[in-house]
Amino acid sequence: MEGGDGGVAAGAELSAFAEAVIGADDAALAEAISALRAAVGDAGWVDAAGVAATFNAIDRLADATGIPLEDAKAEISADFRAEIGLDAFAEGRR
Amino acid sequence: MASELYPDAPAPIRSDIVAEQERVWAHIAGPGSWFDGEARLAIAAETRLARDCPLCLARKEALSPNAVAGDHTHGGKLPEALVEVIHRVTTDPARLSMAWRDQTKADGVDDGPYVEAVGVAIQTISLDTFARGLGLPPRPLPQPRPGAATGYRPPSARMEAAYVPLITPGEETGAEANIYNGMVGAYIQRALTLVPDEQRSWFSLVGAQYLTSAQMRDFEQEPRAITHAQIEFLAGRISALNQCLY
Repeated sequence: MEGGDGGVAAGAELSAFAEAVIGADDAALAEAISALRAAVGDAGWVDAAGVAATFNAIDRLADATGIPLEDAKAEISADFRAEIGLDAFAEGRR
Repeated sequence: MASELYPDAPAPIRSDIVAEQERVWAHIAGPGSWFDGEARLAIAAETRLARDCPLCLARKEALSPNAVAGDHTHGGKLPEALVEVIHRVTTDPARLSMAWRDQTKADGVDDGPYVEAVGVAIQTISLDTFARGLGLPPRPLPQPRPGAATGYRPPSARMEAAYVPLITPGEETGAEANIYNGMVGAYIQRALTLVPDEQRSWFSLVGAQYLTSAQMRDFEQEPRAITHAQIEFLAGRISALNQCLY
């Protein structure tokens, strides 16, 4: 799965890092780390590792406890959730 | 640069991250509400074993996880029903459902132990993901700390809109009066409140590894070496890859 840069600085490197850190390919991870380190420096890389570590776990917390999406977040994301069929998928979890 | 937890660090790690991670490992190693330290470390170890479980790998590839029968390959220290919880949360969280949670409860994993096991598992996953992000192996598990589980269940927790009881903001009482501690009480912040010490531990770690609740909302300040925009882009990318709907 290829990620874009999201219009943010070093977005491509952050995206590649995200894929590699939750994947199992150590060579891809080493390559992604090298690129991210060059793009955001050592401190930025460490902070990125912290963010990835947080969300790789928080996603599981949300899924395991079955918490709903807040109304405000649902409203903001209604258009693209409908477009890609996420609402139907969410119904299947109940 | 190096610390006791990261003697092999390839770059300086912020001291608040190291301190929080050391605290979390000590927390995992000690008694909780429903498990003693030895059992909590067994949950952490099982979280790691799940990644190589052949049944989990086969289920992950299947159209439905229910289409693949078999037994988990596990460490042998925990009941099968709890192993099922830990392995599924670790390897296939996006396809968990209320029906699955009902079955695990019928199989003997009551709400309190379930939430505590989830709390220990996700903190282990977080610490292991951080190490992997630095190109390092998982840190060795600590030795268990003595003490018995307390059996504590917060009186203000109740079923509302999730698979497990939660403490609804505005209904915090007694020892949980400050459970949200400056947080808005979003559902993700309520998710572990049935076992308050897991909620407190997790969000203290989140504040160091990601941002505190106040920092999240303060776009005038950039407290990290990457910007709010970069942080949220990375967070969103991780969640999309995990197919997380929240």
